Amino acid sequence: MKTIRILIACLTLLAFAHPSAHAAVGCDLNDPDRDVARLFPGSTGYKTMYVSIDKKGGDALARQIENRLGDKFQGIFETADVPYTIYEIYKNTDKIGYIHGVNQKGRHGGIQVFLVLDMDGVIRSFYFQKLTSRAAGALRDPGFGKQFEGLTLADFYNYDVASKKTLPPGRVDAIKNPSPDAADDFYASLRATKKNLILMDEFMYGNKYMKYFKGDAP
Amino acid sequence: MINIYKVSFKNLLRKRTRTVLTIFGIALSAWVLASLLGFNKGYEASLSRDIDNMGFQVLLTAKGCPYEAATLMLKGGTGMRYMSEDVVRQVAAEPEVDGVTPMLMQAIFDPNKGESGGIAAYLGVDPVTFPRMKSFLEFRQGRWFTDPDAMEAVLGYEAAELEQREAGDILLIPEKDIELKVVGVLKRTGTQDDGTIFMPIRTVQTLFNKPGELTGLGIKVRQDADIVAFEEKLYGLPDVQVVSLAQVKQTIMNLVTTARIMVFSIAVIAVLIAMVGVINTILMSVFERYQEIGILKSIGAMPWDIFKLIWIETFILCFLGGLVGTAITFGLSKLTEVLIRNLLPYAPTGSLIQLDARLVIMTLFSIMLIGVISGMYPAWKAARIRPLDAIRSEVA
Repeated sequence: MKTIRILIACLTLLAFAHPSAHAAVGCDLNDPDRDVARLFPGSTGYKTMYVSIDKKGGDALARQIENRLGDKFQGIFETADVPYTIYEIYKNTDKIGYIHGVNQKGRHGGIQVFLVLDMDGVIRSFYFQKLTSRAAGALRDPGFGKQFEGLTLADFYNYDVASKKTLPPGRVDAIKNPSPDAADDFYASLRATKKNLILMDEFMYGNKYMKYFKGDAP
Repeated sequence: MINIYKVSFKNLLRKRTRTVLTIFGIALSAWVLASLLGFNKGYEASLSRDIDNMGFQVLLTAKGCPYEAATLMLKGGTGMRYMSEDVVRQVAAEPEVDGVTPMLMQAIFDPNKGESGGIAAYLGVDPVTFPRMKSFLEFRQGRWFTDPDAMEAVLGYEAAELEQREAGDILLIPEKDIELKVVGVLKRTGTQDDGTIFMPIRTVQTLFNKPGELTGLGIKVRQDADIVAFEEKLYGLPDVQVVSLAQVKQTIMNLVTTARIMVFSIAVIAVLIAMVGVINTILMSVFERYQEIGILKSIGAMPWDIFKLIWIETFILCFLGGLVGTAITFGLSKLTEVLIRNLLPYAPTGSLIQLDARLVIMTLFSIMLIGVISGMYPAWKAARIRPLDAIRSEVA
């Protein structure tokens, strides 16, 4: 097999190649076959897409996303070259939704928040794939994730990531922190959810939720 | 006065398209040949550099102990075996040893990784000897820990990215419920260090209750030492296994050599095809100029003059093809490398294709040698043309 591969390499020297794989690390499902079937019951298949802010719109798009999020990208890892993995979910030949995850800095480690979305951008399911937190048990309780179901980016626009308040009060207020010890990670998960929804609106929904954005027009 | 070289060159220009296509065919052969020779050299150099970058050439582990994080993960964090710290003193006393660095790897089960939990591994290293041995490691942020008992961690780039940690952040060891301070984030190295969480070895020994125990000992051997004899000596130590990176390199190179023989066979075929193309082009040219050659001979040209004329045409074709081919090799070496890297199951870091003047000369020489051989038959055929038969013929 190795020989064949080297052979192909040498015989197809004129072919185009992929760019170097030294990009930032994205957020993939650990076991897509199993996870998609579990997170999206009724689905029969999926396709994987890779999108980055860099390739989709560069610095201008990064600023627009920060503007919509109401917060700056943080630290050395939340950058425009992060490759986002979007799973397009199918039932037979019909596309029925998406699964998309983002990395978020938590108090004690990385948090990976996956959202299962229908074709209108409504959250069907919420999943912490990875969570390093003293209150991990409470946050990963199914009851906590259920609070996100049915919400959209329109609801999250009222949530201000910087002040951690919802103005005017809305449906996001109904999401309760399951443990006083988990405040930082609770707010981190709200930020991750809002960012996830904004990215999906930019990448897949053609900015259909932009009309709900009350900040400075991008 | 026009010389024989100019005549040959002008003859080639009479059928420009055919000449250009023949040169292109030769150039492709030269490209394949030069890229393969460059790959041969570059792969070995990169592999050697990668192994040198590990900082030590020999790794001593307890018998049966998984010595890589990846193996540890596959085994679910089980199967750890330990050596006593006494082995450090014993090995360091050997005359072949330039330096040693003790290591202790520990793993815990993190129930909040994925749907059904996962393994998190921590590598305890000596704050004095490890950074000295791995002096090529550079920091993206922060520094190494200085206190051997510090509750601190240094993260490889990918470990830091997964945990979203920066220097100054807190990192939780889940099962132990212990907080560490992240004091450094390393730059990418392309090695397994990228995914490693480093801690001071004494801290790991204390937290995991393994005082005086090690899972590995990295040994840097003196350059003039006989590494094979030294490894034999190490096997004399009780209950240890010796992982020789020199052996690892040799195994990989053996596999690559097998693949290379196959690839060179293909290169030879490519060169033979180019050779047949050259013979075909020159023969066609000879047949088309059948009467012309007859006239040349009737006005005094000797067979050797005709032989030289045709032979030089072949030589010019191959020289130009060789030049274009080596230029393509240099121009597209990055593209070729990216392609090979994507297709190879294991490719070391650094440049896989190394091109230099010697390689260019070798490629040009090979292609011109092929030209000289290919040109003999058409030139001999042309030299044997009988003037009267040629002038009478209706070929033209």
